[in-house]
Amino acid sequence: MSEKLIHRHDKLSIFIHWFNAFCWIALLLTGLGLIKNDQLNPLGAWWPNLMRALFGGGENLLAVHQYLGLIWAGVFVLYVLLKPRETWLFLKEVFTVSPSRDMTWFMKMNLKMTMGKKGFQRFGMTPDMPPQGFYNFGQKLFAQATVLGGIVIVVTGVIMFLSPIMLDNPDPAAWSRTIHYLTVGLVTAGMLVHIYMAAISKEEKPAFKSMFTGTVPEHYAKHHHQLWYEEVAGEERKVEG
Amino acid sequence: MDETTKTLSRRNFLRASAAAMTAAAGVPALTGLVSTGHAAAPALQAGPITDHYTACDMCFNRCGMIARVQNGRVIKLDPNPKFLKSRGMLCARGNAATAHIYDPDRLKHPLLRKGARGEGKWQRLSWDQALDHTAEQFERIAEKYTRCGVMFSPGSDMQSQFLIRFAEVFGSYNITSHETLCLLSNARAYLDTFGETPYPDVLYTKYIIIAGANPFEAIITPDTIDLMEARKNGCKIVVLDPRYTKTAAMADEWFSIRPHTDMAFFLALAHVIIHEGLYDRQFADEMLFGLEELRAHVREYSPEWAAGETGIPAEDIRRIAREIAAAAPTAMVYTGRRTSDYEDSSQIRRSMAIVNALLANWDRPGGILASREVGVRAPYFDIPWYDDNPDDRIDHGMAPGLIHHEGSFKLMRDAIIKEEPYPIRGWFTFKTNFMQTAANRKKTIEMLDHLDFIVNADIAMTDTAWYSDLLLPSPSFLERNDPVSALQGSSACACAIWRDAVVPAMYESRDMRWICTELSKRLGFPETFDFTIDQYREWQLASIPEAAQAIKEDGVYYNPSKVYGIYFDVPLKTQAQKIELYNQRYANMGLDPMPTYKPPRREEGKLRLVVGRTAFFTHSNTNNALLIEFEEENTLWIHPKTATRMGFGDGERVFVTSGVAQVELALKFFEGIEKDTVYMATGFGALSPGQRLVHNRGASIAEVLEDHVDHISGNMAMHETLVTVSRKVG
Amino acid sequence: MKKYAMVVDSSVCIDCKGCMVSCKVQNNVPKGYWRNWIKHTTPDFSLGKLTRTHFQPGGCMQCDVPTCVTACPSGATFKDRETGIVHVNESLCIGCGNCVRACPYGARYRHPEKRVPDKCDFCFSSGRLARGLVPACVDTCPTKARVFGDLNDPDSEVSRLLREKTTVRVTSKNIDTQPNLYYIAATEPADWPGDVEYPQAYSVMASLVNPLVTVAVGLSALGVAGMWAKQAFAPDPPDPEDDEHEANPPESTVSKQD
Repeated sequence: MSEKLIHRHDKLSIFIHWFNAFCWIALLLTGLGLIKNDQLNPLGAWWPNLMRALFGGGENLLAVHQYLGLIWAGVFVLYVLLKPRETWLFLKEVFTVSPSRDMTWFMKMNLKMTMGKKGFQRFGMTPDMPPQGFYNFGQKLFAQATVLGGIVIVVTGVIMFLSPIMLDNPDPAAWSRTIHYLTVGLVTAGMLVHIYMAAISKEEKPAFKSMFTGTVPEHYAKHHHQLWYEEVAGEERKVEG
Repeated sequence: MDETTKTLSRRNFLRASAAAMTAAAGVPALTGLVSTGHAAAPALQAGPITDHYTACDMCFNRCGMIARVQNGRVIKLDPNPKFLKSRGMLCARGNAATAHIYDPDRLKHPLLRKGARGEGKWQRLSWDQALDHTAEQFERIAEKYTRCGVMFSPGSDMQSQFLIRFAEVFGSYNITSHETLCLLSNARAYLDTFGETPYPDVLYTKYIIIAGANPFEAIITPDTIDLMEARKNGCKIVVLDPRYTKTAAMADEWFSIRPHTDMAFFLALAHVIIHEGLYDRQFADEMLFGLEELRAHVREYSPEWAAGETGIPAEDIRRIAREIAAAAPTAMVYTGRRTSDYEDSSQIRRSMAIVNALLANWDRPGGILASREVGVRAPYFDIPWYDDNPDDRIDHGMAPGLIHHEGSFKLMRDAIIKEEPYPIRGWFTFKTNFMQTAANRKKTIEMLDHLDFIVNADIAMTDTAWYSDLLLPSPSFLERNDPVSALQGSSACACAIWRDAVVPAMYESRDMRWICTELSKRLGFPETFDFTIDQYREWQLASIPEAAQAIKEDGVYYNPSKVYGIYFDVPLKTQAQKIELYNQRYANMGLDPMPTYKPPRREEGKLRLVVGRTAFFTHSNTNNALLIEFEEENTLWIHPKTATRMGFGDGERVFVTSGVAQVELALKFFEGIEKDTVYMATGFGALSPGQRLVHNRGASIAEVLEDHVDHISGNMAMHETLVTVSRKVG
Repeated sequence: MKKYAMVVDSSVCIDCKGCMVSCKVQNNVPKGYWRNWIKHTTPDFSLGKLTRTHFQPGGCMQCDVPTCVTACPSGATFKDRETGIVHVNESLCIGCGNCVRACPYGARYRHPEKRVPDKCDFCFSSGRLARGLVPACVDTCPTKARVFGDLNDPDSEVSRLLREKTTVRVTSKNIDTQPNLYYIAATEPADWPGDVEYPQAYSVMASLVNPLVTVAVGLSALGVAGMWAKQAFAPDPPDPEDDEHEANPPESTVSKQD
């Protein structure tokens, strides 16, 4: 295929994404293994039992979870410190929301994904989606959730980590765990959609591929991230012209 | 002996644990909400634990213990189950001995005083310098003031016998120890009634009256444990105490008796028993001397009369007399121990001894028993004669019933201050702390001003050490090899024990045997201490050679000697060779041959101060990190009505003023104390900063108590102090 | 499988504190904290000569319904099925203090240095049981008020006592924790344990957060499953734009490296 490819992600971004993905999954699975209480047990008692067996005891599981969590958070902190400009641009991109355009997109997208195009048209709506930037609003929402959720998760996690080391009052740790669990739960709910969209949904295949290659086909960029595409194309033209 | 010990330690990262693996396998919960698991088996971590038999030294009881040692450190002390005297138990104090031996306040090196006494400036000496200095000072004093110019206070340690031997060979008669602040009155009373200081056979008794004693709280083995066993077996316990003690709390009946009226109660008991004919006539005929004199003597001491003195209803007194007489001979008036209470304590205790005599419980099960044969000998040694020495001890003749080998610290102190009949200028104290235990501390300090040289061997910087001139650091009881000691207690035992070092002596501490050996070389009588500890023990056990093996195997040797009926067909060691209700010797000396009641001293607006101990009080070892948690400061217990009438609130800090001192204490409201009595616990208010947990905390009984004396025995009388309680100004 | 228990004859306790110091030394319990205790009644001095105090030794009751275990989200506090002892796995504990508050007996404290809960484990972790020794408090007791043993062994002293004596248990008012510490005859005081109150952080987690998370993740999963089903079984006709692109490769309007 000779379609023109447009650069979308640099290697560091790709690494960060997959690092994040790996850590998230690993921390989620180990974290679920750390909850062992018949009133909670999100997956049932078998999961913590299995995880503890695999890791040679709950204390090892906790240690793995804690140190992996610290590495995960540490890498992000490092990234922020070493790449403040990229961080800033990313956050700006993710948190810049155009209410009219993005909300419309979000409503339409949801309907389209669940009802299909025909159903969609039955309600008299055009299949055109409002143009989106580097990230569509769905991606933005999830990115926002992961950024904000990540901060909450790291802060509460660090509090729990430090509690037996230096905190004289146990309450922060107790509440941290409740909040940690809540936040992880909510982000996980979003993550299921993210994984579906990226890995299973046909439509976003190019985006999924771009997380390995760093590039997307031009037509994909044009249709899915029109505003970004135009921006990039404009810059190209300027360079050329 | 191998041992595995660990806690589920923190963050032992990735420690593979088979036990934890099984835990993860998961089992159905016991109940719906309980998740279960399996604790990791304790893993090998800190090294093997070895067990060593020894005997406690936290008080005088010498309970059998097993020291658990790990990596050269005593980590735990447990009771020796084979030790019958302590009935396989260890109290809070014994358990706290780990804090005692690893106390950061321990004396570590010989120290010589610089600056004034009590100023706390010390210079470290080598042992050679310290011993040379001691020998020089003793020789100087001996030359100028005779050898009796040095006073010895050997304490009640298992090595005290070495210092006594040293004192005797050195040539001083002036030996005294803590007994003269403790049990002399009782010893005197029973010696003068039965010719023996008996052991109460608490275990088998069916009725016991406890007055002036608190065995459930001031633990004494085996009496404390046996009293509970007896209680389980239906023994009735009647307690007389102006304070609601733990013994009172567990008794069948407790009477908040007015202090210093116990004699009235016991004379009234004798009155009822004699006049109602409730005594064993045959026993009386064979064993009692002076029953008719007593009958006449107690005629006036009716229960009705006693009720007015004691505050105990006459019908209760009469009933108790009948009950205890009915339970006799397996009934007793508990003999008690510390009896340094009143100026007539010997006579008070005589009144109790007389009731025991009327109960016919002598030498019988559940009664009061004579000493048993233990078989431990005191090795012989020559005591030299020094021509220039005075005729007798300094306190000789100052009390008619002075027990010669104990003397009276109170009377000696007075004599030293007066320098009459002769001067004493030197003092050797070993593990005894008169500055904290003897009433009227100011006077003890005044006595020190008359002394040129004070050498003190102890494990900690006690108040007495703080005011000494030379300090010799001693090893704790777990760090030395001690000679054999004979122990007795009720029918439980006549036993022999010794101690071997459980851990090596810490710092530069040296035991008393070594100190005496070294000093004897310097003072010219080296042959006196020319023996090893093993040789000495062999001499002690010459008549019971089998004992050594038993002590090694079980930590204790029991002599299967006769328990009851020791005096069957043997005359008693009294002048009448019977139980002397009427004491002929007293009559000859112009003393009351039978206890005669004198009402207690009362003064308007003043309260009688009584002192006592708790189950976690360890004399001058109260500076103990583990025990101090139970009581961080002593308080003045006062009846709320008394305090409110005087306008004080609970917890208020007040001045307590006696005839000799004013101290500051917080009030503790306590309904269980007689309204004209206040109480404070011993062991606090240390002067020495080296007792950091009790230094300036609370107040010292030694400071506030007036130094009254038991007129017969010379024992200190510590419940004769009347105090005023006043508002703290400023 | 053992079920360790303690049977206490509180009527013989003289409040000497031997058990408390013995425990403290054996288990290195820090200053100001205790793994066990002696409670007492308040004497009524209006009774005069019959005034009494009843002392009551206690410690962790190793309950069969341990509210501390319920309050522990991670299982760091657990009931050992091999011994019946309620343990704390300090390495798994994050020191949230839930279990300390959930115990109606106050049998747990948060260790001031380790900052994890500490409690009586019948001297298991000190190695005494492995050495064949009874717990330190039991061993040292002057009046042998505390008796320790295995309830699953019918010949044990505790089993015998439970068979032969009337015993009572001290429990919380709202939850019968089914303690394994029995008192012979009547003991006093008996009403000192409060209601079991789970700490708010735990209650919120169990009753609010957990359902919320379950619903959120569940809905999300349902949505995703719906989308997947839609795509798998009723796919949209190919997007005309996509078709177009796939059919006619576009001209290069923008060039880029790679």
